Amino acid sequence: MGYREFVKSIPTTMRELLAERLIDVMLEAKDGSRVPSSLAKTILFYWQREQLASEAGLTNLLEAVSYADPDGAFTVMEGLGLEELKLAFRPTN
Amino acid sequence: MRSFGIEFVPMELFWRTTYYAVQAEHLGYDSIWITDHFNNRNVYVSLAVIANYTEKIRLGPGVTNPYLIHPVMTAQSVASLNEIASGRVICGIGAGDRTTLDMVGTEMEAPLRTVRESVEIIRRQIARDKGEYNGKRFRTSAGARFNFKVDDFIPIFIGAQGPKMLRLAGEIGDGTLINASHPDDIERAVKQIRRGAERGGRSFDELDIAAYTSFSVAMDEKSARKPVVPVVAYIVAGSPPTVLDRHDIPQEKADGIRKDLADRNWGEAFGAVDEAMIDSFAICGTPEQCIEKIEVLFKTGITHFVTGSPLGPSVRGAINLFGLEVLPHFKSE
Repeated sequence: MGYREFVKSIPTTMRELLAERLIDVMLEAKDGSRVPSSLAKTILFYWQREQLASEAGLTNLLEAVSYADPDGAFTVMEGLGLEELKLAFRPTN
Repeated sequence: MRSFGIEFVPMELFWRTTYYAVQAEHLGYDSIWITDHFNNRNVYVSLAVIANYTEKIRLGPGVTNPYLIHPVMTAQSVASLNEIASGRVICGIGAGDRTTLDMVGTEMEAPLRTVRESVEIIRRQIARDKGEYNGKRFRTSAGARFNFKVDDFIPIFIGAQGPKMLRLAGEIGDGTLINASHPDDIERAVKQIRRGAERGGRSFDELDIAAYTSFSVAMDEKSARKPVVPVVAYIVAGSPPTVLDRHDIPQEKADGIRKDLADRNWGEAFGAVDEAMIDSFAICGTPEQCIEKIEVLFKTGITHFVTGSPLGPSVRGAINLFGLEVLPHFKSE
């Protein structure tokens, strides 16, 4: 998981907000079917435990939005001023 | 006791429906109902995944029908689901809708008899009854039984709208899913269920009576009302003359909507839905408005309120709004 180190650098207070926004993107994404089912199930695992804002939860969420809606994810990162994460973020083709 | 449920139509990817289901559990909803239509994701696959990611919430088909799914298969499905969600399974069954059945060339023959026999068969199968069953609509031989045990009670809810089906629900169901939203319609329905319970020699108080509503909540009324328009168009188009008459909707207006829907003239069909129709066939508004309307429904004698489609302009937002602003009002009572 390439995003884990970047997630660590996000202030804890902002992780909740980032997770919230990324979930909105995931739920509205047109390409949601591109998210591998194993990754979707991992996200549900963290959601069930209310740990989507944890390091592991956010890392998996970023991986998933890289499939579902990278542009939406960029917009969220930009809005939250997460420049480093934005630079590191790559769409998954 | 008052309980609150939510309906999901599995039109979306499995993980989205499951996400919403987990969200509902986190917020304190009591039940999840998944619709059963051949053109959406399979109801039991959806329920099995949801069961895997939830712990407490009750869940089941809402509703399946015995014309497309034989009752032995419904029994098998809910019994299998019970292994994943022990003691949490509920089973909604109704006659189905004619439009969907028509699409696959199936006639809705003898709906009362068919639902009655289906409920009997489901119960017998779950109980692993050894005898044969000889109904007018279904027949099972003495050997047609599970080779596994079901330890939990699985309540059967009958989806009903018309007076005869409502009475049947009162007579033989563990619960009823009343397919209506307006207090007058719900009140009439509860009376029929009560009559059915009396006919069956049962105590009305033992029954779980749910208003299975078309529902939408949002922070402002206009945003809440907009998503219900297509749903209300379909309800008006499918309503019998007695129901239209009760809500002062001219038959020709309903016929026009039905024709436009059939011709896929969505703009015309949805444009013909007026404010009064929305108030007749949906519970929608701000959280405060919804609380008021739900309070009125509970006064009719229902015990269970189900938020059905469309839920709101954003599904996630609506579940949060209901869970955080509406549910606490009732749960704290």
